[in-house]
Amino acid sequence: MDNAVLTQWGQAGLNRRRFLAGLGAVGGAALLSGCATSATSTGPVKQTSGAVTIQSNLSSPQAKVAIEALAKDFSSKGQATATVNTIASETFRTQLPSYLTADNPPDAYTWYPGSLLNGYAKKGLLLDVDEVWQGMSNYSSAFRTLSGDGAGHQIFVPTDYYWWGFFYRKSNFAKWGVAEPKTWSDFIALCKTLQGKGVAPIGVGAGGDTAWVASAWFDYLNIRINGAPYHRQLLAGQSRFDDPRVTKVFNQWNTVLPYFDPQSTALDFQDATTSLLQGRTGMMLIGTFFADAAPKDILPDLDFFQFPVLDPAVPLAEEGPADGYFASSRTAHRAEVMDWLKYVATAPAQELYIKNSSGTVLPTNPDAKDSGTPLVAKGRALLESAKELTQFFNRDSSDALQPTADSALVRFIQKPNELPSILSDWQAAAQKVWSS
Amino acid sequence: MTTLSAPTISAPVRTRRRRTPRLPPVLILFVLLPLAVEGFWVFWPALQGFYLSLTDWDGVSAPRWVGFGNFTELFADPIFRTALVNTAIWLVLFGGISAAGGLGLALLLQQERRGVGFYRAALFTPVVFSLVATALMWQVIYQPDGLANRLLGAIGLGSWQHSWLANSSTVLYAVLLPALWRQLGYVMVLYLAGLKGIDPVLYEAAKLDGATKIQQFRNVTWPQLRSVNSVILSVIVIDSLRSFDVVWSMTKGGPYHSSELLSTYMYSTAFQSLQLGYASALAVVIFVLAFGVIVTYLVRAFREDAS
Repeated sequence: MDNAVLTQWGQAGLNRRRFLAGLGAVGGAALLSGCATSATSTGPVKQTSGAVTIQSNLSSPQAKVAIEALAKDFSSKGQATATVNTIASETFRTQLPSYLTADNPPDAYTWYPGSLLNGYAKKGLLLDVDEVWQGMSNYSSAFRTLSGDGAGHQIFVPTDYYWWGFFYRKSNFAKWGVAEPKTWSDFIALCKTLQGKGVAPIGVGAGGDTAWVASAWFDYLNIRINGAPYHRQLLAGQSRFDDPRVTKVFNQWNTVLPYFDPQSTALDFQDATTSLLQGRTGMMLIGTFFADAAPKDILPDLDFFQFPVLDPAVPLAEEGPADGYFASSRTAHRAEVMDWLKYVATAPAQELYIKNSSGTVLPTNPDAKDSGTPLVAKGRALLESAKELTQFFNRDSSDALQPTADSALVRFIQKPNELPSILSDWQAAAQKVWSS
Repeated sequence: MTTLSAPTISAPVRTRRRRTPRLPPVLILFVLLPLAVEGFWVFWPALQGFYLSLTDWDGVSAPRWVGFGNFTELFADPIFRTALVNTAIWLVLFGGISAAGGLGLALLLQQERRGVGFYRAALFTPVVFSLVATALMWQVIYQPDGLANRLLGAIGLGSWQHSWLANSSTVLYAVLLPALWRQLGYVMVLYLAGLKGIDPVLYEAAKLDGATKIQQFRNVTWPQLRSVNSVILSVIVIDSLRSFDVVWSMTKGGPYHSSELLSTYMYSTAFQSLQLGYASALAVVIFVLAFGVIVTYLVRAFREDAS
C-alpha cells in the first residue's frame, strides 16, 4: 500500500513537474513573443484578397460619401477593387503608428504631407510612389516638393487643397452696412463698427476639442509679419518661441484681442460656425472645411476676405493645406495600390470627389475642374496670387508640437498680460518635443 | 536488518504525507493556470511598463535606454507639477466628499420607510451610466448658454455666469462635479451594505445605556464600519488616481493644462506626443502613489487589529 502511494506520489510529482515544465515553456514563449516594444504587432484590419484597403479619416458625412464613391468608381474600372475603412480622425491619428507597423497593414491612407510623414519615411514604413509621380508631370512643382521625403523620393499623392480666410455671410454684412476690409486699418475699423452694433466682431472656435483653430491666427500673423521662411524655421526648432520676432506677432494680435468673441475659447469651431451663421459674430478666420458643418442652402451666402497685409515688404504667403494619400511599404498589394494612387491623381477622379463632397476644395490636378462657384474661384485666385504657401501649424511642424501651441494660444487669448511666461513655457514645452 | 530498517524508512514518508496534504493535480491546475494568465496579461505588461519608463521610446523605433532620465525630467516639468497638485486636490475633494456624502446618504436612507427604495435607486442610477456619456451630458450643461448659466441667470445670479470649462480657475471643480455625482451613489451603496451588517442588538444595548444618536454613531456604527471603510478607502484612492474618462472627454486636461491630472497627462504624452517612455515614467509614479496610500492604510489597519 505504501508502495502504491509512493508510486502515485511519484507519478503525481512527475506529472506536476511535467506540467510545470510545460508551463515554463509556455511562459518562455510568451516572454519571447510578448515583447510589447518589438516593432511588429498585428493590426486590427483584415484584408480581403486582391482589394486595396484604404484607411480613411474623412468622417464628416459629405466627405465620407465622396471617398466611398471614389472607391466604387475605381472598383468598377479595372482589375483591382478598393474598400474604405472610415475611422474617427482622432483615433486615426493616434493609431497611425500601429497601423504602419502592423504585419498586415491597411494599404493606403488619407493624410497630409509634412514632417510626420517624413519621420515615417525615414523609418522605411512608407511606400515609394515615384512611379505614380511619373504620370503626374502636369502637377505644380510646389506639390511635387511637398510630397517628397527630403531624400529624393516621392511618398505622397496630393488630391485636393483648400484655403483659409475671414469668412462671413454676405447678407449679414449688407444688413450691418459694412464691406470687406482691404487693409489692416480697415479691418480694425470694421471690428469697431461691428462692436458698436452689439455684434462680437471675430469668432474663433478654439474651445472644446478644437483648440487648434487658434493656430491659424498665429500662423497668419507670423507669415504676415516675419514671413513664411521664418515661420518654417521657427516651427522646425531653428528659432525660439521667446524670440523678439515672436513677441512682435503677439503684440500685433493683442491689438485685435478686444474684438474677439468672449466665447472664443469656450465654443468649438462647429458651435462658433453656428454663431457666425446666426449673426452673433461677424466673421471667423477658418478653413473651407467649416462649410461641411453649414446647411447647404447657406453656402451661396458665404464669402471671405484675405487676411490683411501688415507689411508690404514681406512676400505674400497664404495657408493652402493639401490633402491626399500615402501607402504602407508593407502592403501585400503593391501593384493595386499604385493603381489606386494613379487613379486618385487623375482629373476625373478629383472631379468626382469634389462633386460628391461639399465642393469647397480645389483639385490638385491642373486639368481637373473645381466646383466652379464664385467662392471657389475667389479662393483659387487667393492661392494663385500667393508667393508662398504654408500648410498649417501642425502640418508645417508636427502633431506633437500642436498641443504646445494650443496651450500657449488659448492662454494668450484668455490672459494676454501673461505673455512673457506664456512664451517661455511654450518654448520649454516645444523644446521637449523637438529633442524627443 | 532489512526487516528492522523497513519501518524507519516508511516512517518519514508517512509523516510527510500527513503534514502536507496531497494536492490533486486538478487543484494545482486551478491555481497555476489563472496565475499564468494573470502573469501574462497583468504582471508581464506591468513589468514592461517599468522597463519602458527607463527608456526613450516613440512607439515605432527600438526603445533607447536612458536610465532614470525620464524621472529627473519629470520632477523638473512644470506641467507634471500642475498635474500632481490637481491630482492631490482631486484626491482630497473627490475622496473626502464622496466618502462623507456617501456615508451621510447611507445613514439617511438606511431605515426602511415608504419611498426610500426610490431615493436609493435614484442616487445609484448615475453609477450605471458610462462616464463618457455622463461627461457629454455635463458638457452640455456647462455650455456658455447651457443649463448651469441659464439657471444662474434665472435666479438673479447673472454675475456668477462663467464659461465653466474654458475658465482655468473653475474648470477643475466643474469637472469634479460629474465625477462626484456618480461616485456618491456608489459609496452610498457600499456603506448601506456595511450598515445592514451591524447587529441591531448593539444599538439596543446602547439605547439601554442611554446613548444619544451621536454617541451611538461614534461608539457603535463607526467602529463597526471599519472593514467597510478600508474597502471604501481603497476604492476611492484607486478611482481618483485613475479618473481619466470624465476629464478627458470634457476638457482633455485643458485649457492650458489647468485641469490636467496625472492620468490625462500620461495619456497625452503617450498618445499625442508619442513619448511612451516618459508616459511610462508617469504611470510608474501613479502606481507608486496608489500603492503607497493603500499599503500605508492597510498596514495601519492590520496593526490596530493585532493590538
